[in-house]
Amino acid sequence: MDALSTAGVGPSTTRIQRWVIAFVVLAALTGAMLVVRADLDKAHVALLYLLVVLIGSSIDGSALGLTLAGSAFLLFDFLFLPPYNTLGLTNPLDWLVLGSFLVTSVVASQLLAHAQRRTEEARARTSEVERFSTLGAETLNAADPVEALVAIAEVIRATLSVDSCDIYVHRGKEADLELLAHAAAPKAIRSASTVGRASGLLAWVGGRKEMAVERKDGTVSVGAAAEDAGAGARNESHSGWFLSWGDIADARAIAIPLTVQGRSVGVLRVANEPHVDLAPGQRAFLNALSYYAALGVERLQLTADASHTATLRDMDRLKNALLAAVSHDLRTPLTTVKALAHAIVERGASPGDSNAISIEEEADRLTSLITDLLDYSRLTGGALQLVPQIESADDLIGAALAAARGILESRSVRVTDDESTVMLLGHFDFVHSVRALVNLIENAAKYSAPGTPLEIGVHREGAQLVISVSDRGAGVGAEDRERIFQPFYRAAGVAGVAGVASAAHGVGLGLAIARGLATAQGGDVTYEARPGGGSVFSLLLPAAEQPPLAE
Amino acid sequence: MPERSDSKAEAARRLSSVLIVDDEPKIRSALRQALEREVGTIFEASNGRDAISIAEQKRPAVVIIDLGLPDMEGIDVCRTIRAWSSVPILVLSARTEDQEKASLLEAGADDYVTKPFSTVELRARVRAAVRRSQMAPVPGTDAPIVIGDLVIDTARRVVTSAGADVHLTPTEWGLLRVLVANAGKPVTHERLFHAVWGQAEGDVQLYLRVYVAHLRRKLEGDSYRPRLILTEPGVGYRFELPA
Repeated sequence: MDALSTAGVGPSTTRIQRWVIAFVVLAALTGAMLVVRADLDKAHVALLYLLVVLIGSSIDGSALGLTLAGSAFLLFDFLFLPPYNTLGLTNPLDWLVLGSFLVTSVVASQLLAHAQRRTEEARARTSEVERFSTLGAETLNAADPVEALVAIAEVIRATLSVDSCDIYVHRGKEADLELLAHAAAPKAIRSASTVGRASGLLAWVGGRKEMAVERKDGTVSVGAAAEDAGAGARNESHSGWFLSWGDIADARAIAIPLTVQGRSVGVLRVANEPHVDLAPGQRAFLNALSYYAALGVERLQLTADASHTATLRDMDRLKNALLAAVSHDLRTPLTTVKALAHAIVERGASPGDSNAISIEEEADRLTSLITDLLDYSRLTGGALQLVPQIESADDLIGAALAAARGILESRSVRVTDDESTVMLLGHFDFVHSVRALVNLIENAAKYSAPGTPLEIGVHREGAQLVISVSDRGAGVGAEDRERIFQPFYRAAGVAGVAGVASAAHGVGLGLAIARGLATAQGGDVTYEARPGGGSVFSLLLPAAEQPPLAE
Repeated sequence: MPERSDSKAEAARRLSSVLIVDDEPKIRSALRQALEREVGTIFEASNGRDAISIAEQKRPAVVIIDLGLPDMEGIDVCRTIRAWSSVPILVLSARTEDQEKASLLEAGADDYVTKPFSTVELRARVRAAVRRSQMAPVPGTDAPIVIGDLVIDTARRVVTSAGADVHLTPTEWGLLRVLVANAGKPVTHERLFHAVWGQAEGDVQLYLRVYVAHLRRKLEGDSYRPRLILTEPGVGYRFELPA
């Protein structure tokens, strides 16, 4: 009962000092009373001795009180009850006085000690509540969640007076545990090997969500909590660990799983030499704090997730800015190269002519590659700006054919539409939809032999406008029908088709961009094998009704 | 492809002067090489302020201007020059500036060429801009436009195709007149709508798409391959005069 003994006298005094002080007071009082013995009544002596007993039991508990009561009893008899200086008594009624004094002293000192113990317990509870609330606030407010965990570990270590308290968290794979917060008393020297040896056990605790005790003799007890506590109940409330945990008298370390809503987030380990000694109140405290620690770990993981997401977003933004800048800056030299190559071609017939023509063509190719990369980066980075408006299929197809003029060259393209419909309207972004359709036309031209005709069809299917591009190329194998829409994918084996290989350049972004642009505005790009050989790629866009217009 | 035309026609087409505004010396040099066969004098400016003062003093026949200038926005240079001059202004834009094209036209630019441009296209645009600026300034007083067997007489409000009358509704006429008056140059959706429908409420896009489709079906052989009323994606329409 060390904690109770400090009441009344400063905490700096030792127990021996307090006893000495008590007996000095007793001796001084006895001496003073001896001087005036003739004038004193028995009641005065009894009351003054009772006072000393009460003071004694208040400064050092009932043990001192009882000792003082015994001493005072003897002094009372020996010095103040006639015949003096003997233990015998003249008046038998004095035995009654002495007996009453002794009983009163003992009862009073016991009552006082009990009351003080109650007060002390209340004070301890108050400070525990304060510590909890402080810890709660720290856990929630600490700018850095790791610091919060370190604070929790330190509070646990200090409150339980153990050598160390460690908090391990799951990282990556479920079984991997990483030491995140370590609080150790200055006297504790913990070798890495101890922790290393325990790591298998810690992983077990985290995985099974059950307590484990490392005993002094090197053995380990596990799973007792599971035997006693009702299944599932542990996950609902976090009050059950120690209630079902019986004997931890020879424990050197205890490992407690940290769970939030039944999910294991980490492991808390307290260790002490020679053994972990936890009173029931301290067990409850550790119980509650382990839940705080679990919440702290979860907060850490959420914060890490959030900052990871933010980092990814920042990287995306940077990537887009970089690509945009690069593509813009590449246009300047490309413009120069193209114009100068053209000037060389025009200047007249010299052996360099064909080279200059190649240079101009390559500059165009480079331009289209840069355009693809930029568009793709915009699509994936969410930087695409769409302006959906009422548009006509006529205009869309016309603009796409005009833009693809260079690729189509002399190839014949037949456009078939639904004759019964006057005009097909849709609600889409014109510029980006033209780009999607041009990519489909380019793709068809690229993967079918030159001179073979292309067909473009347009019709309405429910709420969608369907613009199809059909070719008589090699088609796409069943296994590749989704893969062709993946970025940087280029159909293998196409190079074998006569006359196609040389045209099939590019980075393989055309279809991915087309589908991305279409889906971004509620449409899609689909593939179908064409009866009789070849492919049909369809651009689907949201259709719009044509309201009657006043002339 | 190099153009081979006889020297007399070339001389007739020859422009007196062009002002090239770009902060990149290599782009200016490329533009000079592309245009020097067609133009008498080429002035160069590397920033907006110089461009404005050269335009004032030298009165070039055409101004070609890059959007990204070190001292001021290209669009502001357009606006400043347009405030006192009707000189054709051609803008060099990067593809990333797609959205700005319409506002460039509103600010007074006549046309735009996307970098990297083809020399052939650049020359064609420059010639078209100059030809347009030399046309009669009052719409409706032009001689009838003859394109193949199609004759458009905006003064008499008559269109014939292979000798047969083509009936146009008043709205279709309104649209065709604005397009022809700005022949060779892109006209923004907004301008077209306000010129034809005034301050009327309504979906600009819807009206334009529908009536342009009507016009094309009456005037063009194949409405999917228009030769007269061309779509300028994201900007508007252009009535193309055959060269």
